[in-house]
Amino acid sequence: MTDQTKTESPINHAPSSGFAKEIEQEPGGEGIMKCIQCGMCTASCMVASMTERYRPRKLIQKILLGKREEVLTSELPWLCMTCKLCEERCQEDVDLSQIFTAVREIAAREGYVPPVFQNTIEKVLEDGWMLNDAYTDFEEDDRSDLGLDPDLGWNNEFTKKIKKRYFKGGDAK
Amino acid sequence: MKEFILYTGCTTPVRLPAYERAVEVVLEKLGVKLTTMKDANCCGAQYIESVNHVAYSAMSGRILAIAESMDMDILAICGACSGSLKHVKHELDNNKELRNEVNDILEEEGLKYTGTVEVKHLLQIFREDIGYDAIKSAVVNPYKDVRLAAHYGCHVTRPEEIVHVDDAENPTIIDRIIEAVGGIPVDYTGKTRCCGGPLLAMDEEVANAIGRDKIENIRAENADGIVTACVFCDIQLTQVQFGEGSNDKPKIPVITLPQFLGPAIGIDFNSLGIHLNKISPEAILEAH
Repeated sequence: MTDQTKTESPINHAPSSGFAKEIEQEPGGEGIMKCIQCGMCTASCMVASMTERYRPRKLIQKILLGKREEVLTSELPWLCMTCKLCEERCQEDVDLSQIFTAVREIAAREGYVPPVFQNTIEKVLEDGWMLNDAYTDFEEDDRSDLGLDPDLGWNNEFTKKIKKRYFKGGDAK
Repeated sequence: MKEFILYTGCTTPVRLPAYERAVEVVLEKLGVKLTTMKDANCCGAQYIESVNHVAYSAMSGRILAIAESMDMDILAICGACSGSLKHVKHELDNNKELRNEVNDILEEEGLKYTGTVEVKHLLQIFREDIGYDAIKSAVVNPYKDVRLAAHYGCHVTRPEEIVHVDDAENPTIIDRIIEAVGGIPVDYTGKTRCCGGPLLAMDEEVANAIGRDKIENIRAENADGIVTACVFCDIQLTQVQFGEGSNDKPKIPVITLPQFLGPAIGIDFNSLGIHLNKISPEAILEAH
């Protein structure tokens, strides 16, 4: 055995930034420090079972290690389905989907929103609801045939007000 | 007669109007009257929820406030909507600052959130307001020898401490209703797992692989059909059985809970919009 411990510098476990503390201050992010990295979340996760790209435990670990830029600019926080299966099983009551939602909100403030999300956000704020473009004569007929009111009566004044108040220029900021 | 205000959400009226109609006719037959909320807005689930917590709270908060102005509890029939409305209600009830901010916006149109209305998902109406015994007594045409797999929907049952619908790890409401009308509820691997629907926007391939995994777990138990309680789950579990990546095995009909319940309590197929189901459930619904 070679005596490596004397020549190598000690490993530094201190986080490289205060990212985890920052998330702790966001609504939903409060529980992040409770994570013990047991991996129950990844073991429960259907996304993780189908793709190697996503591992919720590792994503939490990246946050705890302070990898702010890497996390905020990646697609990872947006791959959570928010199905909350991991949260139901977490022994430490870490609400992962809530934490990832807090991460998304910080990412959004800094301009990192996946285009598919951005498109739907803009539609909802403009139309008041999600499916304005998909509601055609065909669907109206189905509703009439069923005895349902074809006039859905969605309100878009309120979401326009929301857009003006919370989304400057329509950006998710 | 109990009365609720129905918040349909964005998706049901367009993509699954038969579900909306079946909810109305089945609940009416079981003594629950509904008024559909008008002049509503999207609850903000998933999209606004992801980018602005206050905007999201205001959007769901407005729906809660409209119900308050009409003095009625809310019935939500979509997992995303019921989840959002319950979550935001919880926050508004416990965070005065957030409530004040939301009320500040609502005030302009004369609305106010004070926390007097409850939000119920359809499953709660069946269990709490109607009850299994009343459902059983309403049965005129019981099912026979038909095996059904229940799919509950993630946002319908989780987080249990906020939504208060069913035991999140071992939900039973749909199974008990299947049983009450003479069907055989079947368990299967991964019953409480997601349908994959929420991932469609980010990664369709993975989303559909998750949905198909569920279909194959259900097929392994020789179920004749799948009973759902959320519009997104119903659409997702149906569409993954078509197109690229689907296999040649027979398709398993996916049917919403009120559409399954209806024929047993004497409601005809037309009133339930059965003809609009993409995978015909008629073989199941005729098994008496």
